[in-house]
Amino acid sequence: MAELLLDPNIRLWVFLPIVVITFLVGVVRHYISILLSSQKKVELQQLQDSQVMIRSRMLRENGKYIPKQSFLMRRHYFNNEETGYFKTQKRAAAVQNPMTDPSVMIDMLKGNVTNVLPMIVIGGWINWMFSGFVTTKVPFPLTLRFKPMLQRGIELLSLDAAWVSSASWYFLNVFGLRSIYALVLGENNAADQARHIQDQMSGAAMAMPPDPKAAFKAEWEALEICEHHWALGNVDAEMMALVGPTVDSMYHQNKVD
Amino acid sequence: MALNKKSLSWSEARDLFRTWRELNERKSQDVVSLWENTLQKKVHKLGDERLLVYEQVCLAALDTNRMDIADQCLVALKKEFSTSLRVRKLQAMKLEAMERYDEALELLDNIIRRDETNAAPRKRRVAILKARGRIPEAIKELTEYLKKFMSDQEAWQQLCDLYLMETDFARAAFCMEELLLQNPHNHLVHQRYAEIRYTQGGYENIELARAHYCQAIKLNPNNMRALYGLFLTSSNIALSPKTTSQKRKDAGKLAKWALRQIEERYESSTQVEALESMLSGLQLGSVPAVTPPTPST
Repeated sequence: MAELLLDPNIRLWVFLPIVVITFLVGVVRHYISILLSSQKKVELQQLQDSQVMIRSRMLRENGKYIPKQSFLMRRHYFNNEETGYFKTQKRAAAVQNPMTDPSVMIDMLKGNVTNVLPMIVIGGWINWMFSGFVTTKVPFPLTLRFKPMLQRGIELLSLDAAWVSSASWYFLNVFGLRSIYALVLGENNAADQARHIQDQMSGAAMAMPPDPKAAFKAEWEALEICEHHWALGNVDAEMMALVGPTVDSMYHQNKVD
Repeated sequence: MALNKKSLSWSEARDLFRTWRELNERKSQDVVSLWENTLQKKVHKLGDERLLVYEQVCLAALDTNRMDIADQCLVALKKEFSTSLRVRKLQAMKLEAMERYDEALELLDNIIRRDETNAAPRKRRVAILKARGRIPEAIKELTEYLKKFMSDQEAWQQLCDLYLMETDFARAAFCMEELLLQNPHNHLVHQRYAEIRYTQGGYENIELARAHYCQAIKLNPNNMRALYGLFLTSSNIALSPKTTSQKRKDAGKLAKWALRQIEERYESSTQVEALESMLSGLQLGSVPAVTPPTPST
């Protein structure tokens, strides 16, 4: 096949503009999403629930390290029929249909606005503006299978698969610029941290159970069947086994001396 | 450390600050002197990180009573975030450091009203009560806090200390158990729990203490306090009238082993004899008086 020679104007007016446009759009999108992101409000009640769950789980997992009496005392606190925490705390079963909860809806909408919409709009615009250009060539041969991926918008059977069309170049940029964004916008460092200083460290804003009532019931059951085997019951015996013979022999030796 | 402090470049100082922040090390003296010597002039080079550095330095300045530096940092932070609760908390801490407790409390109450889920200002309230020496009130406040934030280790630890200050050992032991639940593989927690149980006295408590001393030694064979504790509890058990003869023999062996371990660790030092005589004195004296390794540290 004859070697293709691209017009230098394509480089100047198609290849580079696409890179710049995608990059700038990414930057703008980043800041817009910062502007739109709403701070998740945590209810004190939810916080308390999640902490109770953590404590109860700890009790189940590590209860063997505390004396039996202490274990039973704590289980009583959580599980007692009349006064136990899991029995007395009545939580309304949460309605978790996203369609009825406006805040969830708004969050979803925001995600769409910042991610999907620009993708469609800019992609469409690029497709329309720079349609039909062969922009660049990857420096290695490719099989025919890559044609739909790299030559979107150009249906030329005879064209070598290594050539990249403008629309495909746009998509390559969209997915390939991620690490450059991380470099420029500083995904996890300075820029992000400065944002976090605004919202205070309500340290324990961890994931809370979506439905406390069901979670409480499950935890109650788990704790109820949890038995207490004291882990330190024979730790001194273990200690003796570990040290016994040496101590003895040393002792006898000393005696002989 | 103090020697090369002057020669640190600003970027090294920044990295040092960063590690300290990540490891939650206070190092107030170092932070303040580094700030004055190197970082202050270069603060514009830090970018957004400078805000975190301001916060860190502000805390350190409050620790070392350098109100001028603290003010400087607060002004800078205030300019950046005029409504931030985190900055307000720092302001409250400054009032606290200046012993204007009532104003500090007012500010903290304000923060809590704005954001109920914020744990820090609630803890500061307890700290203020403790600083004023109103231990029972501090305990009350802290228990209220713990009802809401049950899995806060620091708070349990603090409550344990407060109870120890009031010599309420049973409750202090409860708090320690809570810590044991959260990190059962920390030998210091085991050791401390054992100390509290030992101080409580009584045969069962001492047996319990011995088990936890054993666990502490198992987790860290170099824990000297636990070795001493094991020796004291074991000899106590060996000499107690309630023990069966087999148990007595074992306890005696364990006590000897603990003694031997302690001796080994002191072998290099010159005071071995003095120590040995002291320990044998302890062993000979009937039941060792309940003088535990002081649990308040």
